[in-house]
Amino acid sequence: MTEQVARTTQASLDVRHLVKQYANADKPVLNDISFSVPHGKVFVIVGPSGSGKSTLLRTIAGLEPIQGGTISLNGEVIETGKPGTESAGRSKRSSELRTRVGMVFQSYDLFPNKTVLGNITLAPTLVQKRDKAEAEQEAIALLERVGLADRKNAWPHELSGGQRQRVAICRALILHPEVLLFDEVTAALDPEMVREVLDVMLELADSGQTMLIVTHEMQFARAIADQIILLEGGDIVEQSDDAEAFFTNPKTERARRFLRTFEFDRHRKPAETTA
Amino acid sequence: MSGAEILLEPGVIPRLLQGLWVTVWIAGVSVALSVPVGLIVGWLMTMKNPVVRLLTRIYLDFIRIMPQLALLFIAFYGFAQAWNWNLDATGACVFVFVLWGGAELGDLVRGALESIPKAQYESSYVLGLSGWQTFTKVILPQALRRLLPASVNLATRIVKTTSLAVLLGVVEVIKVGQQIIDANRFQYPTGTLWIYGVIFLMYFIVCWPLSIVARRLEKRWKHD
Repeated sequence: MTEQVARTTQASLDVRHLVKQYANADKPVLNDISFSVPHGKVFVIVGPSGSGKSTLLRTIAGLEPIQGGTISLNGEVIETGKPGTESAGRSKRSSELRTRVGMVFQSYDLFPNKTVLGNITLAPTLVQKRDKAEAEQEAIALLERVGLADRKNAWPHELSGGQRQRVAICRALILHPEVLLFDEVTAALDPEMVREVLDVMLELADSGQTMLIVTHEMQFARAIADQIILLEGGDIVEQSDDAEAFFTNPKTERARRFLRTFEFDRHRKPAETTA
Repeated sequence: MSGAEILLEPGVIPRLLQGLWVTVWIAGVSVALSVPVGLIVGWLMTMKNPVVRLLTRIYLDFIRIMPQLALLFIAFYGFAQAWNWNLDATGACVFVFVLWGGAELGDLVRGALESIPKAQYESSYVLGLSGWQTFTKVILPQALRRLLPASVNLATRIVKTTSLAVLLGVVEVIKVGQQIIDANRFQYPTGTLWIYGVIFLMYFIVCWPLSIVARRLEKRWKHD
């Protein structure tokens, strides 16, 4: 019991004073960002376009170098900001470390030269040196979980966008990442496919997977989030450990205005114009 | 149609086949050597280094602008004699066709590598794949699929272009044809069409399967 308490209170992912600066830009894209994602919790990042949400996920995944601050995973610092890396490529972190942070992208980025099963088992067999039969067995179990067991031998081009995105989630899950990042995974999907992907994510949240989600789907954010931050212009505008309170009673005027853009009230506008 | 009997003269068909063998040999060796050259050139072309980029660009443009015949003459009469290379006509042909095939294939390799979306590299990175694993398991298989149809077409072009070897005195299938026609000028004055007809058929038999393979591959891999 005490161990469980310790586990749930410990931060899986801890970001401290993170600064991201691109070369030839006068102002950082991310400016002194600090937050932590507790183990087994769902952390959601919302904000207007260009606020730095996706960049933040990319720095955590190691796809972009950081110029200040630290990123830690279960207490272990995995990334330290260094000035002068503005135009450097991806982080040099080890393969093993990379498998501990999973990421699902907006684009349907499955490997087109591999089947569904081949996509999922590539990294476990190649990077984690796991037995192929064992990896396939787990891959099939994961596919069952997302409702795609019957498509295991299909090629990516035979799948719909929503199906591909669910396979991409399986491909990340099989590595048992300590934290799973979702970068607007439904933004490029047809509306009727959004639901099937979001349902999978809700189920994952219930199963205790630590997740960090960037999304524009406010209703979904409200349903899935344990904690939430609103990001704008590279700064955290509002941070809330109680996601529901953020939606019902935001503390800042900026958050209120942001949330209002997702509301529709056809009676309000004419009233305003006549006034 | 008269003159067809020329094909029945002893030695005519075997000699044409020998000539065809020379043609296929030059083309085959050139294509085989062009593949590694093209892969290296293509890889160099994707490098960020401006000097490497400029040099490969000059190489590609030079080869494209020069007619193959001019290149053959430069290689055979120019280089070989100026520097006293022991390069025979066949060697000069292979040399020029590898330069040409390597440049064209290099450009195809460059295009194929650059057409792979950045997301493929990024997902591989996030999944923990090393740079080499990403290249061999993810990028190269996709690039080869995009590359193969066009490179098979390039191979057919190389086969056809070997006919220029005649002009350096290589006794390949066209030259053999001319010799046969010349030798039988009085006996079979109308044999010319038949000999060239057979040569046409021979080129067709060599190149057609390549075209079929290219079309098949294109169809099969059009989704990727």
